[in-house]
Amino acid sequence: MSARVAVAWAVVGIPLVYGIVETLNKASSLFTK
Amino acid sequence: MVPSFLARERTVAGPGFNRWLIPPAALAVHLCIGQVYATSVYKTALVKHFDASLTSVGVIFSIAIVMLGLSAAVMGTWVDRNGPRAAMFTSACFWFAGFMVGALGIGTDQLWLVYLGYGVIGGIGLGIGYISPVSTLIKWFPDRPGLATGMAIMGFGGGALIASPLSGRLLALYDSGYDSTDSTSVASGHSVMLLFLTLGVVYLCFMMFGAFTVRVPADGWRPDGFDPSTVKEQKMVTTASVSAANAIRTPQFWLLWVVLFCNVTAGIGILEQAAPMIQDFFRDGADSSVTAAAAGGFVGLLSIANMAGRFVWSSTSDVIGRKPIYMLYLGAGLAAYVLLATVGPNSTVLFVLFAAIILSFYGGGFATIPAYLRDLFGTYQVGAIHGRLLTAWSAAGVAGPLIVNAFLDAEGTPGELTAAAYRGALFTMVGLLAVGFVANLLVRPVSEKYHEPKDRTAAQPERSRA
Repeated sequence: MSARVAVAWAVVGIPLVYGIVETLNKASSLFTK
Repeated sequence: MVPSFLARERTVAGPGFNRWLIPPAALAVHLCIGQVYATSVYKTALVKHFDASLTSVGVIFSIAIVMLGLSAAVMGTWVDRNGPRAAMFTSACFWFAGFMVGALGIGTDQLWLVYLGYGVIGGIGLGIGYISPVSTLIKWFPDRPGLATGMAIMGFGGGALIASPLSGRLLALYDSGYDSTDSTSVASGHSVMLLFLTLGVVYLCFMMFGAFTVRVPADGWRPDGFDPSTVKEQKMVTTASVSAANAIRTPQFWLLWVVLFCNVTAGIGILEQAAPMIQDFFRDGADSSVTAAAAGGFVGLLSIANMAGRFVWSSTSDVIGRKPIYMLYLGAGLAAYVLLATVGPNSTVLFVLFAAIILSFYGGGFATIPAYLRDLFGTYQVGAIHGRLLTAWSAAGVAGPLIVNAFLDAEGTPGELTAAAYRGALFTMVGLLAVGFVANLLVRPVSEKYHEPKDRTAAQPERSRA
């Protein structure tokens, strides 16, 4: 059951982390010249 | 009512089931339907493809949000009766079909088909999907309902964070002449059609993962170490049950409707205008010290604040209580709005900080409302009550942009506005937040005359299995 929980969180977590990283990269331009 | 493989009794969790499988199931749905906030990626492409105005294409998004509120209100009772798997499955089918019909509209140059597909059909999928996991999460996490609903509804904010860069890359893949990093580059209509087909299929798979992972707890289940009597001791948390039909007759429902409407309208006031707003606030003559790329970064930062607020503030509400957290959203939000209007123009950092705080409260307001409803009306039909309350979102989706645009239209032309032009709109939002603050102060426990008899609520799960 623990493995199933880990896989389920990975399925949603990996795309979410991708989205956050991409957005932070874009947002960094706000504080750089 | 529903095929047997979707029936509620097929989703009752067996002994040893880990409740931490439920949040990812809910997130799988919310991350997909959150794409609705990433429509700006292909908006210009659709304007060019259909040779239509920005307003005509913007209507697609407006229809989807209005349908979200309406379908959540109308289908809430059905969702509660048939359980989360049937609801998630149905939502996935509508969301998928919305993309397919929308793609057909783009491919055949018929904008009305995009209205029907993405707007109406997809919008129904949005509404059912949004409320589908809420009551189930509250039942699995009676000890921390704010945390549970915060995790799921955070996904709705996170969906746009994923869909936005992903859509840009897919459009560049389908149209070699398109550069997603160049704000002047416009993708072809054909590539947007292929994007719709791709997103539709990917979202169908993801949402089905959620539908077939979700379970409902067995009758009488409770988490290890959880003592329901500790909940009973809190004045604003009921152990009684109020039906959806009765809930809308209570002043508490309408006070919360006003609270949600004011909080969402204030947030949309910034979200709607974020990119041009930051450029206008730091404009010197015809030029702004904030570039278009930096303004895009500001929008991204607000999305993260919106998403983080959903999780952080909703979880915090489990500790400090629902009414106090809304006093924070509305009271501190009001102060942040005043500071944004007065101190904001002096510093980019302060402007971004105040806007991020406001957006975190906006997200928190969305994520905490199901737990607030659970506290006041019980878990009996909380999904249906939540669905009805979301009509406040639809109303705010119309009112927020109307207020901001009406003030800005009166102040001058886009591209020439300054911080002063926003004062009227911002102080109107301050007034709205004050109204919401008072409405929240007036919330009291629901009168016993609205409570369901104990025997009726006990029989409900049996009826729903028939």
